[in-house]
Amino acid sequence: MKSIRVSAAACLAIAFLASGCERRHVRWYELPPGTIEVPVDSATAARNAIREPGVLGTVETIPVVGWAGPDGQPFEVARRSAALEGGHARVFGTITLPVSLRAGAADLSQYPCTACHQGRKLVMEDQRIKDAHQNIHVVHPKQTGAHCATCHSADDVQQLALRSGEHSTLDESYRLCAQCHFEKVEAWAAGAHGKRLDGWQGRRVVMACPDCHDPHAPGLQPRVPFRAPQLERTKGLHP
Amino acid sequence: MSSDPTPETPETTEDGSLLQKPVDRRGALGLLLGGVATGVAAASACSPLSAATPEERELKRLEWEEFTQKHYRRMTEAERAETIARLERLAKLRHNEEATIATTDAQPGVLFGYAFNISKCKGYRRCVEACINENNLDRRSDTQYIRIFEMENGVVDLSDADPTYQHEVPAEGHFYLGTQCFQCADPPCVPVCPVGATWQEPDGIVVVDYNWCVGCRACMAACPYWARRFNWDEPEVPAEEVNPNQHYLGNRDRHKGCVEKCTFCIHRTRQGRLPACVEACPTGARVFGNLLDPNSEIRWILAHKPVFRLKEELATEPRFWYFAD
Repeated sequence: MKSIRVSAAACLAIAFLASGCERRHVRWYELPPGTIEVPVDSATAARNAIREPGVLGTVETIPVVGWAGPDGQPFEVARRSAALEGGHARVFGTITLPVSLRAGAADLSQYPCTACHQGRKLVMEDQRIKDAHQNIHVVHPKQTGAHCATCHSADDVQQLALRSGEHSTLDESYRLCAQCHFEKVEAWAAGAHGKRLDGWQGRRVVMACPDCHDPHAPGLQPRVPFRAPQLERTKGLHP
Repeated sequence: MSSDPTPETPETTEDGSLLQKPVDRRGALGLLLGGVATGVAAASACSPLSAATPEERELKRLEWEEFTQKHYRRMTEAERAETIARLERLAKLRHNEEATIATTDAQPGVLFGYAFNISKCKGYRRCVEACINENNLDRRSDTQYIRIFEMENGVVDLSDADPTYQHEVPAEGHFYLGTQCFQCADPPCVPVCPVGATWQEPDGIVVVDYNWCVGCRACMAACPYWARRFNWDEPEVPAEEVNPNQHYLGNRDRHKGCVEKCTFCIHRTRQGRLPACVEACPTGARVFGNLLDPNSEIRWILAHKPVFRLKEELATEPRFWYFAD
């Protein structure tokens, strides 16, 4: 494991030297001007717009695929026990409600990851990684010591690593979350947890886990509520 | 529309007289009252009606037609169309609104149900904000259909709960429970109405014909959930904030002296959309769907989650369940 880390770091250092050595005033993780841009196209703008209530617009979706089931339906939530390392998945629940997922990875501020991670490799415990991702304060998952590779694939930085050895795209992050939060994901797939988009009729489009929960700090912050009602209420007479 | 029993309304004469209008039994009363009003106006005001602008004369004529309007459920299709055209024109004349008023009927095989997750609601009141904007609620009296109660953990007693909290939420040791019209299966507000101005639609939504309502407020007294609101004064909504997507039984213009209530956003939900409160909720604590569809989210919740309803002992059978997870 150590050798992998070292070689990956070397890889990145070479990439850094190759791209940034003659431009000393540019910090290494700042992109050379004009080379790589993450365009905010109309499709991305439309996806962003659905975060505003009342402006649902067009929702780009990907079908939710249960990894234990064939081609999506029925959706199955599998529980993988840590004790069963590489062992069989136990199907926790089966949900027959068809569901589509809001595809939101492209909304990420530093997406695509390959814009910086030219080598596509993830370098762990490197100060430069921390510098480049200062907005990320990892508090979750606490139990594992919050190691990047707990969730991110070391081989492909834009993929998530599942305990089974499989990879998952960032849009299908529910597969990763379900490894521990299987009950929540079951409720989410059935409609009792999370937010539904579009209408009550027709296709079911739901928001994915990271649309509400920052994966690195999933708790929600307190907010100031909308104003209180001005009408007086006769206490005791009304509910 | 081809079997239109009501003849086309002709143009009124230049002085606003209605005498050119063909008369039926209903119209006769309107004409009579209109005539009286014209007489009174002519006698009391120095300037006769003919001196008013065409818009003012049109407004006067339409207001008298509105005054003598039929009950919504007894209108023929042609009368409905005529009423809608009149109300849309009145909205334009009175408030300069470009409203579109729908009369969409209930979809067959649909019965609306609502579930509210008390473990997920954080008391942000985004639903309240969306409801005010969506349903054109009176800004002056600050009418709100939804109330969010801040409740102490371990107690489901709304008499001690606080709906007027104004601090950062969620507060430690508290949970939040929202109330609105529960669209009860046996709504106590409906049979008490002396004029039949409120009734339950086939999809379960309890609605009010604002024009037929006499403002006696008996329904408000009958409702055990304080779901209805009365317009003590002429409701006011700034023209630029008016939601033009309206329904006759929902968010169209109300007037002083009528009762109104939550209709599960009838203008949206009958088109397959979600109520504004559900769409606005950032936590996904609100779930809405068709109770008759076994594959709906709401049916899954009723089958898999511990649910309860408020004041179940009254047997009003609310179609609004609270659940926790």
